[in-house]
Amino acid sequence: MNIHEYQAKQLFKAHGVPVPGGGAATTEREARALIQEHGPAVVIKAQVHAGGRGKGRIVKRDRASRMYNYLAREPERNEGQIAGRRRGGVRIASGVEEALKEFRPMMDQDSRLVSVQTGPDGAPISAVLIEQQTSIAKEFYFSIQVDGANGQPLIVASAEGGQSIEAVNKKNPRAVLRVPVDPVEGYPAFRGRSLASQLGLPSPAIRPAGEMFANLYRVFTEMDATLVEVNPFVLTSEGTVMAIDGKVGLDDNASFRHGGYEEWRDRSQENPTEIEAEEANIGSYIKLDGNIGCVVNGAGLAMATMDTLKLYGGEPANFLDIGTVNRKDRVIEALRIIVNDPDVKVIFINIFGGLARVDIVAEGVVDAVTELNIQQPLVVRLNGSNVEEGRRVLHDSGIDIQTSDELGDAAELAVEAAKSGKRRTRSNN
Amino acid sequence: MSILLNNRTRLLIQGLGNEGQNQIRRSLDYGTKVVAGVHPGFRGGENFAYANHIFPVYATVTEAVEKTQANCSIIYVPAPGAADTILENIAAEVPLIVCITEGVPVHDMIRVRTALAGSKSKLIGPNCPGIIQPASKCRVGIHPPDVFMAGNVGVVSRSGTLVYEAVDQLTRAGIGQSTCVGVGGDPIIGEQQQAILRRFQNDPDTDAVVLIGEIGGLAEQAAAAYIKRSMTKPVVAFIAGATAPPGRRMGHAGAIIEGEAGTAEAKLAALEAAGAVISRSPAEIGSTMRRVLEEAGKYQAPGAAG
Repeated sequence: MNIHEYQAKQLFKAHGVPVPGGGAATTEREARALIQEHGPAVVIKAQVHAGGRGKGRIVKRDRASRMYNYLAREPERNEGQIAGRRRGGVRIASGVEEALKEFRPMMDQDSRLVSVQTGPDGAPISAVLIEQQTSIAKEFYFSIQVDGANGQPLIVASAEGGQSIEAVNKKNPRAVLRVPVDPVEGYPAFRGRSLASQLGLPSPAIRPAGEMFANLYRVFTEMDATLVEVNPFVLTSEGTVMAIDGKVGLDDNASFRHGGYEEWRDRSQENPTEIEAEEANIGSYIKLDGNIGCVVNGAGLAMATMDTLKLYGGEPANFLDIGTVNRKDRVIEALRIIVNDPDVKVIFINIFGGLARVDIVAEGVVDAVTELNIQQPLVVRLNGSNVEEGRRVLHDSGIDIQTSDELGDAAELAVEAAKSGKRRTRSNN
Repeated sequence: MSILLNNRTRLLIQGLGNEGQNQIRRSLDYGTKVVAGVHPGFRGGENFAYANHIFPVYATVTEAVEKTQANCSIIYVPAPGAADTILENIAAEVPLIVCITEGVPVHDMIRVRTALAGSKSKLIGPNCPGIIQPASKCRVGIHPPDVFMAGNVGVVSRSGTLVYEAVDQLTRAGIGQSTCVGVGGDPIIGEQQQAILRRFQNDPDTDAVVLIGEIGGLAEQAAAAYIKRSMTKPVVAFIAGATAPPGRRMGHAGAIIEGEAGTAEAKLAALEAAGAVISRSPAEIGSTMRRVLEEAGKYQAPGAAG
């Protein structure tokens, strides 16, 4: 789960990481107060979860998809600017009126931030972060993430900050430092000082930088974060260090020890159908561009199902991992999401039961056909736990369903049905 | 008797909720030797009974191991307590720990991996279907037993349901399995694919291996490096997620495309260069393995005396 930059900075501040003076505003009144307190020279930053914000553009909702295409086609000519005519997601201003001129279009209900990462709808702007401008001597990169292969936290740092670390790594891999963290020792300040020295920070900045790194590590562990990234942190002209940007990813699996992360979560940044799927306790749902609606158990099999459909010339309308199904209402909820997608021409159900019981899935499918008045052709492939009972349930229902025991065969049936564009015939019982 | 399990495996179960009980009944039906359970609410040898099977339940793993010489643990405990249970098994020096649980926090797994280093235990999972070995009738997990058949092909996969899918195709193609291992879909797991490949390479009961990977992470590249360096047995590989849109997380916490190394193309290229036979379609894993076995003269028709 991602959180906003202003929230990341609240966490930083609470853990003793220096950040610029400022705060988040949603109304003009709040914005004015922040500018008066921290101005006159301020930075104004749109708060969205998507990346590429600075180079993205603030536009009216009805122009979002056109701007998205421009950005994809000719990025240099269309990218947002920090000052000047093309309004990006990060702006600078001097004085209350000039700053409010930047604030208003960002906080307008009708505005969207469009970047190469938002998709054609753009992202709604949840708040605007207003901060004091910092005079920068040099920019650096710092992040903590999880190194899965080694099962340890990994710190990545570079003296070439303020740009994408992937780009730095490509250009000059030696400019990127990788420091594995011993989780038993944690990350004491002396390790931080040693890293600060390796990064070439001047001597008076070594102690505060070391403390900043150690404190960021505390954010990482105390918050159950999967990522803490500061790009850039800077050496100011006054010789101190400061986190100018902040990105924190939280581990959804650990939300049970953080009150569900409710105070950090912003549902307006999430896809409504994906929220609906989550509330129905469905493992995972992602909308895609095709017309074959998929209901599958297990992430691996769900991906493999999409792969198979594509190999037979079909296009999946979604990725849906229903998780472990031991209640038929879960099947009905999953099918409700699929049926409500106007792009879906065929429904393909592929369940290989291990923990999941296939007979319960079959009962759910049969109930859903009536309850949701499903019109689209149904292709059902069941296998695994209680498969005989499952097949009997489908057969005895008398509902017009195409079935197959094998993945390839079933996928072919679904692709054919999508191409023929036929509707399901009514049941004959 | 192939890898990890054998007919001397003595299973200890943790997580005796409804689902754990269901699963353990199916393992007992399959023929697995379950010797004990652990439940903190139990004291000294209260019994769990099912059909004509009966085994004692203890309050701690140490006590259960002492009393029953259990040498393998299966964990069905819900996510908030899963890491604690794994740590308890490491402390009790259980040689093989299998954790099915989905949704274990990644920081918990950092602690587990630290405890595993230098310990006497090996961990499979979490977020995996477990291990099954048809010849010794040993089911340590959540597999649908009917699709499995004893034979000479090993299976290793990050995804659970894809183990079933691949095995179903193998069995239909007349190919039995030596041992099937789901290593788990999380970013931090116990044994990774290359460690399982090494076990299969050294196992006289395995003639070839199916390797099922997915997008995200670098585990398949590590597996490819091992295949290139040390593997003489044929490997058939499939990578799920070739058509997944970049940047989206597809269920498994480990399956995020991070840069080019995480893509299916990069993984397939590494595996192909290492000499693995690629099955582009997930529906052709069985037929590809059949061809590979026949070419190697290792295809054993089912029912043939062996």
